Amino acid sequence: MLGEDFSEVALHFDKIQSEEFFREVGALRKLLLLLLALVAVLVFPKYFVVMVTDTAGLGDKSFNDSVWAGIQKAVKDFGIEARVIQSMEMADYVPNLEEAVKSGADLVVAVGFLIRDSVEQVAKKYPNAKFVMIDAVVDQPNVMSMVFREQEIGFVTGVLAALVSKTQKIGWVGGMFIPPVERFEVGYRAGAEFVNVNFGRHVKVLISYVGSFENVPKAKSLALQQFAQGADIVFAGGGKNTLGIFEAAKEYSMRYEKKDGIRRFAIGVDQDQDWLQPGYILTSAMKRVDVAVYSAIKDLVEGKWKGGIHSLGLAGNYLSLSPMKYTRQFVPKETLEIVNKVASMIKDGKLYVPVPLPKTRDELKKFNAPKVEF
Amino acid sequence: MKREFAYSAISVALGLLLGAAFLMLTGKDPLSTYRWMFYGAWGKPSFIAETMTRTTPLIFTGLALMMGFRAGVFNIGAEGQLLMGGITAAVIGIYVHLPFPIHPLLALVTAALVGGALGYIPGVLKVKRGLNEVVVTILMNYVAIYFTNYLVRGPLKSGYLPRTAPIAESAQIPIIFPGTRLHAGFVLAIFLAVILKTVIDKSTWGYELKATGYNPFASLFGGIKTSKMVVLAMTFSGALAAAAGAVEILGLHHRFYGQFSPGYGFDGIMVALIGRNDPIGVIFAAMLLATLRTGAGLVQLRAGVSKEIIWVIQALIILFVSISQIYDMWFRKRGEQF
Repeated sequence: MLGEDFSEVALHFDKIQSEEFFREVGALRKLLLLLLALVAVLVFPKYFVVMVTDTAGLGDKSFNDSVWAGIQKAVKDFGIEARVIQSMEMADYVPNLEEAVKSGADLVVAVGFLIRDSVEQVAKKYPNAKFVMIDAVVDQPNVMSMVFREQEIGFVTGVLAALVSKTQKIGWVGGMFIPPVERFEVGYRAGAEFVNVNFGRHVKVLISYVGSFENVPKAKSLALQQFAQGADIVFAGGGKNTLGIFEAAKEYSMRYEKKDGIRRFAIGVDQDQDWLQPGYILTSAMKRVDVAVYSAIKDLVEGKWKGGIHSLGLAGNYLSLSPMKYTRQFVPKETLEIVNKVASMIKDGKLYVPVPLPKTRDELKKFNAPKVEF
Repeated sequence: MKREFAYSAISVALGLLLGAAFLMLTGKDPLSTYRWMFYGAWGKPSFIAETMTRTTPLIFTGLALMMGFRAGVFNIGAEGQLLMGGITAAVIGIYVHLPFPIHPLLALVTAALVGGALGYIPGVLKVKRGLNEVVVTILMNYVAIYFTNYLVRGPLKSGYLPRTAPIAESAQIPIIFPGTRLHAGFVLAIFLAVILKTVIDKSTWGYELKATGYNPFASLFGGIKTSKMVVLAMTFSGALAAAAGAVEILGLHHRFYGQFSPGYGFDGIMVALIGRNDPIGVIFAAMLLATLRTGAGLVQLRAGVSKEIIWVIQALIILFVSISQIYDMWFRKRGEQF
């Protein structure tokens, strides 16, 4: 970028000031130009950010789109320049990342968990380039890995679901057993446990996993099964699966709500998905990758950028519940107050939320929900 | 041959022209787009090396499909054979310990054997039981795709990503151009294409293969064991497709990823058709496809053209190349010599 700016400035200068005087003192002219370019760069630094997507690309209505939206916001706010390279196949990852570096990008943003290995490889090769890796960890000094403490928002969601549930049964239909998804799940279960201890309820959590992120029909049938077993709220744990789970909530409500008066809900994830089935999605546990990438660019612009692992949570609003635009009437005011209090306690570090340990799934057993005065 | 080359050149030009019109419609500068595309693929030694790297699997699968077409059968199962070849190579690369030159060779040969077996089955089913090889190979694709997916998400999983552990260093196909990703698999691909060209054009076996493809009944009448030729063609086709996967894993990715192939097996159909079922033509067709794909990254970055538009242009070029047979009719109808 610096190189390009320089040549542009030099070009203009050449056109305007190509007088005899400068031609005679060539050396001085060069020096002058260099100084001018330096000043131009220092006074008007224009950062260049390149995003490299995974093969899902833009239009995935998920992380890629959300990250790009965050970058667009930074473009507006900081006047940076941004470009996106969408990878067409896996073999594209390394060359695309290298292209981004070579184009003079001040920051290369990589999205998607399969791109992780390529980011590691390219970051090692270009130690002076800066990378942001969203939702995965690359342990290199020049990579800012942004990962989320999903268990925190899972916990808050669990508290809300356990309080709202009329059948005292809530469900979870996860995508695959990968750490971010399991963190959601464990937080969710712990949240329900917290409600049982503090509010004398007996909420049970049903757990199912689809085994893939794209199997919409299977996700739907698993959700229907959980509703049939008496759950009235099902958390949709990720991927395209969510669409099937939302449909299940609507379908089941249509069939049984008139008989037993209980509305069945799904809970969305990652983005504000409430609008997808208005009224049947209680809330969405949002993972704000857009806020994360925006803050990374903000750090860059303010000169505070640092590599390393950044663990993002409720604090800073990197995780939050959706505003519940369509379902406010189903949630009592007191319930919302409790949920907000729990969230602020986690933010302040007054409430510990368990994390699944690698290879074991029983960290939850160690979780003793604390007594809290409400 | 000369005429065919001219047709292909005209097709590429027509595709680019229509693509340019399309680019103008979307408000992009076609000249700078094409310049960046070409530059991104051939502008620097490192770009050329990258283009060659992309060409490699396409040559293999192009040759695989060509083998089938030559004998009059359609091996749509190349994608599945490629995945099975890849996972076989990865398993041998990870769990078998051998010194360098033997290790990758063993992995390659085993992968080719597995792929050969996968091609043999539909071949035999066709000649013995009359089952359509297209249906059988399509179905076998699903088996291979889900089986490899299961393996990388289950028993062979390493870390939390759907991928295997890395293969041993002794199993890697060496890089032939330091500082790039271009590996010896490319040389192997070219070598195989030349060998196949000689065999098909010069040997009795090649003659029998071609005869079977042109007219199986006449060939049978002429004393050629056409059913044997069909089975052989399918077997070799499977072996070549599996080699594509093995070479990608051993040379480029160094571990098996669940989604490493964007459909090279299906691209092979295109490559074989554009290359007019000629081994040397396959090399050039593979290079054409690789050029379009390698250049795409720089086009997005520098010309600001989106991925979807690049796909449209690629499709247009390929469309024109693959329908170029109609030029022949056209020119003949007008009685012109081309």
